[in-house]
Amino acid sequence: MRMLALLLALLPATPVLAQSAHADLTCRFTGTDFVYDCVVRLTRGGQPVSGAQVVVGADMPSMPMAHNLAPVKAKPGRQPGEYHARLDLEMTGEWAVKLRLSGPLRDLLVLHYEFDERGARPVPPRSRTGR
Amino acid sequence: MDDFTLGVLTNIGLFSFLALSAYLLLLAGEMSFGQQAFFGVGAYSGGVLTALYGVPLPLAGLAAMLLGALAALLVGLPTLRLRGLYFAMATLAAAEVARLLFELFRFQREIDGELTGPDGTQGFRGIRWIFEHGVEPAEFLLLVYGLLALALAALMIVERSRLGTVLRSVGEDPGLAASLGVDVNRFKLGVAACAGALAALGGVLFAHHNSYIEPRNFDIMLGVHSLAYALIGGLGTALGPLLGVTLDIGLLESSRVFGGTRMIVFGGLVAVLLIVRPRGLLDEQLVHRIVRHSFKRP
Amino acid sequence: MLLDLLQNTIDGIASGASYALLAVGFTLIFGVLRRVNLSFGPGIMFGCYAATWMHLNFQSGLIVLALVAVAGAVLAGAYVERLCFAPHRSGSAIAAMVASFALWMQFEELVTLVLPRHVYAFPTLHEGAPLEFAGLTLRPDTLAVLGAAVVLCALLHRLLYRSRFGLAVRATIENPVAAGLSGIDTGQVFVRVFALASAIGGIAGFLIVATHGQLTPMLGMWSTLKGLLAMMLGGLGSLPGAVLGGLALGLIEAHSQWFLGPQLRDLTAYLLLFALLAANPAWMTRWTTSRSAS
Repeated sequence: MRMLALLLALLPATPVLAQSAHADLTCRFTGTDFVYDCVVRLTRGGQPVSGAQVVVGADMPSMPMAHNLAPVKAKPGRQPGEYHARLDLEMTGEWAVKLRLSGPLRDLLVLHYEFDERGARPVPPRSRTGR
Repeated sequence: MDDFTLGVLTNIGLFSFLALSAYLLLLAGEMSFGQQAFFGVGAYSGGVLTALYGVPLPLAGLAAMLLGALAALLVGLPTLRLRGLYFAMATLAAAEVARLLFELFRFQREIDGELTGPDGTQGFRGIRWIFEHGVEPAEFLLLVYGLLALALAALMIVERSRLGTVLRSVGEDPGLAASLGVDVNRFKLGVAACAGALAALGGVLFAHHNSYIEPRNFDIMLGVHSLAYALIGGLGTALGPLLGVTLDIGLLESSRVFGGTRMIVFGGLVAVLLIVRPRGLLDEQLVHRIVRHSFKRP
Repeated sequence: MLLDLLQNTIDGIASGASYALLAVGFTLIFGVLRRVNLSFGPGIMFGCYAATWMHLNFQSGLIVLALVAVAGAVLAGAYVERLCFAPHRSGSAIAAMVASFALWMQFEELVTLVLPRHVYAFPTLHEGAPLEFAGLTLRPDTLAVLGAAVVLCALLHRLLYRSRFGLAVRATIENPVAAGLSGIDTGQVFVRVFALASAIGGIAGFLIVATHGQLTPMLGMWSTLKGLLAMMLGGLGSLPGAVLGGLALGLIEAHSQWFLGPQLRDLTAYLLLFALLAANPAWMTRWTTSRSAS
């Protein structure tokens, strides 16, 4: 118990960042199986967030940890709040895209998108059931 | 160390809690396909407490462990008389019930103008306590491994003590243990509660590491995986399950060598390994030999 | 109201027929080996994927696809038997089951490597309108599934009660040691029963996939869970129990979906199993898992 308290005392008490970031994804199928060129649009409180480091990873919710995607560092795009990344997925289907943000704000966003031969669509609510 | 390696190491630590949970029950002679349910209970309860009620993580962790132990008793009490495959199937059924209940669980509050909270099959987003309190990935890793070290230390002390002998004897031959005065039922319930608490601790840490959990995270695959980790690593010591987790997740990360065939390679290796060492890599015989060798008089 | 009840019962029996076949496969292996093959569903999935591959590359007819599915399942079963169950015959049951789980992972990855799309269309047994009579709907392909299940069970019964092989199987189920002592090659019985169970599973898988018209990598897990559930509901280790358990599962699902909605459907089945196990009635718990200490 004491070691736990000690460990936690080491954590700096930085001010709380209340507002969370939001992101959406637009992806284009490049033609090669199954590589997608994606654009991430990052906002916070309605304003685009630029200068953040965005690392994009992905996992399949239906088979967690079964796929190994090397996380990709997204490159800032031309518009503020835009970041580009190329995702090499192992198969089509529903993926949970994980955006790890650092820099002006630290956060971890998880977005569910359905990837197919055309691109990626956000998964509509209530369509995700267990089996 | 880059964020990615930190993430891998953290995952190894997180799933070690679950593997240890399955290991404890295996020592007591029971095979459980359902420890992932307590992992989920820990994740959801810890997440709700920190994200919806601003409870600090340490407190939420303790509450999650308590709930995990209670849930384990809820499953353990009705199934006391069951053995072997019947017990395993009962735990599987209970875990699926838990997962399906998570799918129905919708509990949201407005935090900073946004609805946050578990939303059934949509999952539970916004578990951001560690981001809001400036916990760096390296610090979180330290926290996970610090707690894991505590758990390991406790388990290894128990193993060397009389309690550990009683545990293994209950696992090997409950009838004999009972004839020697052990209240087998009460003992098994105690072990189940500890295993539930351990899994729940892993769960609450998992929820905060990922910031997002959904019922699908806690399905049967996770449960059977944790059982497999415990068995592959070896049942001779609490380090065995850790070895199992490290082997699998470590192989996952080095799978660039194997391309997309990691599971084919690993699955084959596991099956072959179990032929040669049915009680795992660090099984009781090996551990006994190592301990005897290191304490031999010169 | 009565019409709904009848319709649900018909639907329940229809899906229950496939569950029954899956449960029979599990029970055959359990009865003889006292172990659960966690790769049973994935082996069936392997067979169905092989059939899909045939369909995509050769546009084969349904009969050929069914044969390929069965052959694939039997091949997968033989592989699993050699690697997971033969070596642990007199050893640890847990090791055998965990090994079969490891091979499950292999099958899942293998099929997604060869056919990476998440969903594949599979030819259906019957294109066209369902039959309607007296206000009830009946799809012809579910009739086919029911018919196939009945025929298979009848054939299995004949095999087990009218042939020498069947006698050997029943003797081994009853008491393997005694069977061995009376001259039965129990090793050969295990191998053959495994093949038989895999074949039945292959047919079940083919029927399931052809009825649904599509195949996903989730079939492995799905059929394992349904088969295990049905087997346990019917009382572990009994073949008539497996059939009844499968039908019961189908009926429970159909009726609970109607009255409680799709989300509570699976919940009801699992809760019922848990409650039954907790109550521990004699008919459910006759058999022990392994013959030797694990």
